[in-house]
Amino acid sequence: MLTQYLFYFLSFLAIFSALLVVFSKNPVQSVLSLIVTFFAIAGHYVLLNAQFLAAVHVIVYAGAIMVLFLFVIMLLNLNEDSEPQKPGWIKFAATITGGLLMVVMIAALRSAAEMPAPQKVDASIGMIKNLGHVLFTDFALPFEISSLLFLVAMVGAVMLGKKEIHNP
Amino acid sequence: MNALLILSALGIFALLTDILGLKKILFPASIVALIGAMVASGLEWGHHTSYFNGMMCTDNTAILYTELLLFAGLMWFLICGSSIREHQTEHYAILSFALAGAVVMVTFSNLVMLFLGIEILSISMYIMAGSQKDKYSSNEAALKYFLMGSFSTGFLLFGIALIYGCTGSFFTSGIAAAIQQPMTLPHGMLLAGVLLILTSLVFKIAGFPFHFWAPDVYQGAPDTITAFMASVVKIAATAAFFRLFSMAFGSMVQEWSFTLCLIAIGSMMIGNMGAVLQDNLKRMLAFSSVAHAGYMLIAIITLNKFSEAALLFYITAYTLATLASFAIIIRVGQENGNGDVSSLAGLGKRNPLAAATMTIAMLSLAGIPPLSGFFAKYFLFNAALQENYTWLVLAAVAGTLISVYYYFRVIHSMLILKGSEEKISNSPIQIIVMLVLSALLILLGIMPDLLLSRIGS
Repeated sequence: MLTQYLFYFLSFLAIFSALLVVFSKNPVQSVLSLIVTFFAIAGHYVLLNAQFLAAVHVIVYAGAIMVLFLFVIMLLNLNEDSEPQKPGWIKFAATITGGLLMVVMIAALRSAAEMPAPQKVDASIGMIKNLGHVLFTDFALPFEISSLLFLVAMVGAVMLGKKEIHNP
Repeated sequence: MNALLILSALGIFALLTDILGLKKILFPASIVALIGAMVASGLEWGHHTSYFNGMMCTDNTAILYTELLLFAGLMWFLICGSSIREHQTEHYAILSFALAGAVVMVTFSNLVMLFLGIEILSISMYIMAGSQKDKYSSNEAALKYFLMGSFSTGFLLFGIALIYGCTGSFFTSGIAAAIQQPMTLPHGMLLAGVLLILTSLVFKIAGFPFHFWAPDVYQGAPDTITAFMASVVKIAATAAFFRLFSMAFGSMVQEWSFTLCLIAIGSMMIGNMGAVLQDNLKRMLAFSSVAHAGYMLIAIITLNKFSEAALLFYITAYTLATLASFAIIIRVGQENGNGDVSSLAGLGKRNPLAAATMTIAMLSLAGIPPLSGFFAKYFLFNAALQENYTWLVLAAVAGTLISVYYYFRVIHSMLILKGSEEKISNSPIQIIVMLVLSALLILLGIMPDLLLSRIGS
């Protein structure tokens, strides 16, 4: 019962702060609401018994990425006045497309709700021990391949960030 | 698998050459490694091995695409290797990793691998598009490509999540098996997932209505990188698209085929009509690549026993012609840099070999009979007609007729218009590349069985 209340509370918090992210005029306020959203989602992960994911989510998103966001906002000195105004028809088109995607997602989730509940799943599936086991056995190749991805990103960041020395 | 290992090793080696002082041998080493990878991946022919609990599977189609990717990579290194001077090691490393990502994309049998492959390839391309740091257009291309590309990756991930949510599997075979039992899975969720994945993949192959990035990025990126995008990225994305939709979603073809039909027709029309209006060569080829993405989608829509071979043949013909035309664009671009169709004026006198190669490439892209481009289109249309897609074929033929105009404009500019008389010389490597590519374009046109017989077996 408690989990259910917690679920509703976290969902409300996540959706409410997500709306604040979009609607608040001040960029710093947006970022702060985004942090709340991330924490609410991390709470959902804990409810689903995925502690590792919850911890990583908080560290990476609420920690690292949010700090970057704040830095960029401060360095660019963004505030209410400097927010660019989009023309009306772009807002209209964006509302239509976003609304259409929402309709599709609602239809998708409704079809899932009509299905019989899945058979009992292993509750310990999200635990660190199981996660590590799967990562180093079944998913060993993707795990290793993702190092290529990071290597590319790092080499690229160095290349783009390096100061050019122009030989005359 | 062998190719993947060799390419990753090559990338790491390239990064180390700066420290080890082996920069001189980087170019020959890359060529040797790529040839070695081609041989090594050829050794897996016919074994149909699956690696690491079915994460990737080297069936014969995957090997053929791998060979094609490696060949395109080899040709790319031969064409562009010597013209990369700034950040040479980084270029070599990132592009070999990009090739590794492309190989993952054509051999995957698990959606996680597909995602990683797409990301490795895309992130390399975002970086490479912006590699001319002092050029405004290059920065613009990189930023546009990065923003839109990461958005489409979001769609892909969301789609994969929905598919996993309703089928309970990341494996293409597992998904296919789950779709066979329609009673036990939420149909709406499956459709939404397929739609989101489709959106993202159509973006990656630059199909209508997600093609808006292609002209700007192709034009803004350095010539060498555009050549890589138009060949390797196109092969990998199209092959991955076909692989996913035939292996995982093949049994629900009638549910997504109509959407894909509209996308294909839109790509062919917008691509061909857009290309007519362009003066910039790279921009024109970008629109032409949108149109060709539309033709390739026909193979994915039809999904019968002919379409796999037809698609492979089409991609091969397209890649050969694209690489050949970019070899000339890069060579001419080194002489005078505005990159317009008119910059080719008088090339017939200035450099007859380049003009001849470009003519063959353009004729092949337009689908003129003795060349491979004609048979590529013929096999594709034939596959579509078997499934009674007459109207789709009619639209494709109409698109082809439009395309003749702008391909012939290039030929007209090279052979008939008068330009400067100054000769352009070819290095021995360039002569070899041009001869090999044009020979293959003619050879596959005369004897398409050389390639087609491989895929039937």
